[in-house]
This record gives sequence, C-alpha cells and structure tokens, in this order.
Amino acid sequence: MTTFDKVVKILVDYNDCDASEITMGTKFADLGLDSLDTVELVMNFEEEFGITIEMNEGLQTVGDVVKLIDSTQG
Amino acid sequence: MIKTPLCDLLNIEYPIIQGGMAWVADASLASAVANAGGLGLISAMNADADWLRNEIRKARTMTDRPFGVNIMLMSPFADEVAKVVVDEGIGIVTTGAGSPLKYMPAWIGAGIKVLPVIPSTGIARRMEKGGACAVIAEGGESGGHVGELTTMALVPQVCDAVSIPVVAAGGIADGRGIAASFMLGACGVQVGTRFLVAEECTIHRNYKDKIIKAKDISTIATGKRLGHPVRCLKTPFSRGFFRKEYDPSVSDEDLEALGAGALRLAVQEGDEKRGCFMAGQVAAMVTKEQPVKEIIGEMFSEAEAILGGAGKWVS
Repeated sequence: MTTFDKVVKILVDYNDCDASEITMGTKFADLGLDSLDTVELVMNFEEEFGITIEMNEGLQTVGDVVKLIDSTQG
Repeated sequence: MIKTPLCDLLNIEYPIIQGGMAWVADASLASAVANAGGLGLISAMNADADWLRNEIRKARTMTDRPFGVNIMLMSPFADEVAKVVVDEGIGIVTTGAGSPLKYMPAWIGAGIKVLPVIPSTGIARRMEKGGACAVIAEGGESGGHVGELTTMALVPQVCDAVSIPVVAAGGIADGRGIAASFMLGACGVQVGTRFLVAEECTIHRNYKDKIIKAKDISTIATGKRLGHPVRCLKTPFSRGFFRKEYDPSVSDEDLEALGAGALRLAVQEGDEKRGCFMAGQVAAMVTKEQPVKEIIGEMFSEAEAILGGAGKWVS
C-alpha cells in the first residue's frame, strides 16, 4: 500500500467521502474539511505513520501531506 | 473551602481563571483578580511588544501575586509578544485563536506553564502532546470567539481525551456553573462575562450597563461565514452584521472590514452604533457591579453549598 493509498483510506474513513474523488491535487478545503477537522486528520496521520507533523499553511492538498510523510520515511 | 489540583498548579487560592478578553483584560483587572486569589490575565490581543511590556510592569505595581498573559495567536504581533512573556518572566500563558505549538518549546523551556483554550478533543490531545500543563475547554456559550460545541458536551469529552487538568469555560457566571463544571470533570473554571462588570474592570460605562440589562436571548454569534464566529450582544450593529452575512452581494472582505475595530469602539468609546459588545450567554445572570473579590468569594461560597448537597438525590 502506497503512502497515498493510506492517506486516502484515512480520509475516506474520517470523512465518508468517495476514494475515487481524491487525487494528489485535492485540497482539504475542497472536501469540506475545516481547521478542526484538519487537526484531527493530522493526528490520525501521525498515529498511522508514527511521525510528528508540523501544522502550517503549506499543508493544503493531499499531495502536500503525502510528500511530507514520504520525506520523513526516507 | 474549595481546593483542586489547579490551585497547586497555578499557585492560586481559588481555581478560577479570568478570561483573556481583548481590550478588557488589562493590568487593572488582572491584578484585581490576582489579589482576590484567582488567576488574572492580561490580554496581549493585537497589541505590540511595548504595550504588553508596559501593561505587565504596571500590573506588577498593583499586585505581588502571580498573573498570566493571554496570547491571541491571530495577532500580527504574536511573534514579538510571545518573546515578551519570556523576557518579562511571566509564569503562565493562556492562548487563543490558533495553535501555540510553534511557541511552546520556547515557553516551556523558560519554565512557563501553558494553558491553551481549545474547542475540540483533537486539539486538546495535540496540546497535551505539545507540553500544555492543562487545557481550557471553552464551549460556544462564551463571549468573543466561539467554537461549535457547548460546554456541557465538550468538557466531559475533553476530560476523557486527555490526562492533564481541564478547565471549563463558557456559560459560567455563578456557583452553579462552577459546581456543574466540577461534575463534568473539570478542576477549574474560566470566567469572562461576569468580570466585565467588576469595579476594577475599566471598560466603558455603556458596556457594563448593557451587560447588566442583558436577557437570556440577548446574544448572537456572528461571523460564521468568515470562519471565526464571535458571540456578542444583539445591537443594531451586530444584527446588521448578521444580516449582511447572508447577503451574497456583500464580499467577505467588506464583512471583515465592517467588524474590524468594533470591539475597541465598544470597550473604549461605548459606541452603541458601531461597537461590538462581546458577551457570553450568561450575561443575563450578571446583574450588578461588584469588586472582583466579592465576585469570586460569592461564586465559590455558592459552589461550596451546592457541592455539599450534591448527594441529595442519591440514596
């Protein structure tokens, strides 16, 4: 399972959205997620991947998160 | 006598924190609360480092008890005021309107106890992980910037989510609110609206009169469209603002501009036409101006009586 697939799985699980609608370019805001949801999601990503994610304005899209996770997994 | 772990944690006599209300929470109010045995706060709001430094030094001439600073994280001066609290040797910081995580290592390193105001269990857990010594779970009954969850629903869930102390905020104006907060699992309360009418609170007379006159249905949460709702008293200004939120011909920028500076106009000028009089839903329960000491004393003796009888339905 790629990082992207895992991220999508967490998103689908959290938001009850359709996995086929999510691409690397999908913005969290486009999924109707607000800042509180984003915090919850980031924590879910942290738990899944065993990393610490610094929350900042740079994390707008699914691709941003995937790249960040991959960069920490070496 | 009511004593909880929050008293030891913050070195205070009563487990009560005064809300870090922008334009309201100045040296006068913070020192009065500190002198009365609670945790007084100075709000750094949108002010710069010089203003905050002066206010801290002024408060130190008015009390020798500890007080804290509330950092409003949306402030354009957040970086510099975050440094002032370290330089001035402030021991306790509460935060609002954003995530304090980027400042927490420096604060904690300087021995500062950090209590973020939080609106959800997820953020509470994140703050615990970041080193917060306690969290302030604030329900949407409160005045000013509000979250979606109510105090009744939020506090017990936050208590379940974290193992650090939880302070309840939003909707607490008397001893019943304190007792209820303890029942929900909190070990302290934060109170804003009731302190607005404290004798030591320096806000405009019109603001105090409006709070004293307020009824249960007197507040409204505006600004939902902009993503950061604010609870304030219903006035022609706030009702007008609320209507404009649903008017698609009004842009978000115009709406932001309309709200800018409106709190200052209420607090300093008592401007009934253009001011935004922030207040919680408990404004109606606030019926008279009193010294801070009397407010805190009264609230805790009520709470003590209620908690003493808490077993009355249990057989």
